[in-house]
Amino acid sequence: MSRYRKIINSFIASLLFVALLSTSNNVFAQDGKALFQANCSNCHKPDKDYTGPALQGWASRVPSADWIYKWVANPSAMIATDAHAKELFAKWKPTVMTAFPQLKKEEIDAIMKYVDTYVPETKGPAGSTSTEPETDNSLLFGILTLVLAVVAFILLQVNSNLRKLSDEKEGVLRGEPVPFYRNKTYLMAGILLLFALGGYVTINGAIGLGRQKNYQPEQPIYYSHKVHAGVNQISCLYCHGGAQDSKQASIPSVNVCMNCHMAIKEYAGDPITREDGSAVNGTAEIQKLYSYAGWNPETKQYNPDNNKDGIPDGARPIEWVKIHNLPDHVYFNHSQHIKVGKQQCQTCHGNIQEMPEVYQFAELSMGWCINCHRETKVDFFNKETGEGNKFYSIYEKFHNDIKNHKLDSVTVEKIGGTECQKCHY
Amino acid sequence: MKRTTFLPAIIITAVVAIASSCDGHRSPGKIYMPDMAYSRAYESYAQHDSMKFTMDMNDKGGNKIFYNSMPAAGTIKRGEFFPYTLPNDSTGYKMSATVKNPLDSINAKDLTEAGRLFNINCAICHGEKGAANGPLATSGKIGGVANLTLPAYTAMADGTMFHSITYGKNNMGSYASQLTREQRWMIVKYVRTLQPKAAGTTAPAAADSTAKKP
Repeated sequence: MSRYRKIINSFIASLLFVALLSTSNNVFAQDGKALFQANCSNCHKPDKDYTGPALQGWASRVPSADWIYKWVANPSAMIATDAHAKELFAKWKPTVMTAFPQLKKEEIDAIMKYVDTYVPETKGPAGSTSTEPETDNSLLFGILTLVLAVVAFILLQVNSNLRKLSDEKEGVLRGEPVPFYRNKTYLMAGILLLFALGGYVTINGAIGLGRQKNYQPEQPIYYSHKVHAGVNQISCLYCHGGAQDSKQASIPSVNVCMNCHMAIKEYAGDPITREDGSAVNGTAEIQKLYSYAGWNPETKQYNPDNNKDGIPDGARPIEWVKIHNLPDHVYFNHSQHIKVGKQQCQTCHGNIQEMPEVYQFAELSMGWCINCHRETKVDFFNKETGEGNKFYSIYEKFHNDIKNHKLDSVTVEKIGGTECQKCHY
Repeated sequence: MKRTTFLPAIIITAVVAIASSCDGHRSPGKIYMPDMAYSRAYESYAQHDSMKFTMDMNDKGGNKIFYNSMPAAGTIKRGEFFPYTLPNDSTGYKMSATVKNPLDSINAKDLTEAGRLFNINCAICHGEKGAANGPLATSGKIGGVANLTLPAYTAMADGTMFHSITYGKNNMGSYASQLTREQRWMIVKYVRTLQPKAAGTTAPAAADSTAKKP
């Protein structure tokens, strides 16, 4: 009896123990992640070397079980005394790990447990987003037209042959029929057709001179706006801050890129493909940026300036290709449209956040500008509520018209937005 | 007779063929009147004639003009605050705690503007509420993002915060090129409103300053 009791007791005890262990494990797993993010992730990644070594598999590397506690509490002291610590420092110097004396043993356990169980997020098989290739109807129509033309031609020939036969039967005598390429009707029709076609193409070509819609140059670095502005939700004005302050939207200088890319060394997002189907190696593109910036990702420092030209050695400007080119005889100011007009970037630049490679979305022709100026309403100052842009309070007549319900809103055109001299001077 | 009829036809066909063969979304295409399309004055980002200009400081004083788009030394943009002189090292970082925020109080309009700037430049990592939950931080792309609502940052001096924005800290880069000194101080004020303790003290100040200003 007592033997059974002993077994039951030990069974219950072990059950309790297991339960306790598993719950505490849960708690630790959660804490571990948060603790790791808060304290370690600045310099360590679980699975990759970063500023400090990759932490996974730490247990097999440390000499004794409590080594890790001592190390975290005071790394500098350990480097002075401990052999393994010395070895580590030799590899990672001059960086010494920050001491974390405030971390308790349980917390360190939780962190190390999180690190060991860490699995990098794997991307599920991307949903089959194979969009239907847009069928170009013009080719189909062209073939159809050609077929119809051939049919018409054959029918005409048949017609003339039949007439010849009937003429012979009835004994009517006609001259030898001219072949079709000498037939004046055919020739005239052909010339007229070519004339119309040539005229159409010439006029369209002339209008298209200097317009670059869909222009999509290849850039020195495969920079994807889709990844930056779309996936990572970086505000347009983070990089193109000039758009709110000046005429130019401004191309960010390399140091703005480095604000994030000091930490982001590799691209691990969805695969990107070029137009010809070849894959873009995002990590290699980031390496290109480092080369332009004169940044050494190994030491996490800019190259020294040995040739004394004021910039790190090897650093050079990135020669981005300008896509949106307005001719010199047109004045355009970004801040006027962004800050005063409160326009979205996308109005003129299209869905930039979905473009891996940027192309010119808008026509940027005069008709296109004027059209928008005719339709867009200005943020007209409302005297009663005091809302709107105060600049427009000077338009006395429009205020009266609105008061008398002759007008309900004021467009850019009404305040002179289509005057020649607004943009051409 | 035959030749004269065919000649225009051939020419027109050739023109059509050439015009339609110019695909080219990779090339900017052609322009008419280049002297009206290209600026004769120096435009932003335009390439300078390397025979006349040099960006190399070592060539300074030679027969080329040295120009690197930087403001002349010792000049300040109109309306801009005086330069921040503390160096970017550990001593400078320590001393920065003694630097006072030149903006005593901030009015509601400026605070909204500071919030807008914060959301553009800082929230991408620090989050709109400053709790280190911006898109780049939560996705784990940038590690060690400071949670500005923690006591460590509530206790941090304005000057130290300004110092960190100016020079960068750890994984954070310098924002001196993106934000003017005044904007940086404004953002420091804004960060205080995100912090739990400071929220109570800033709000009345903002109300006061708006009342005084016309």
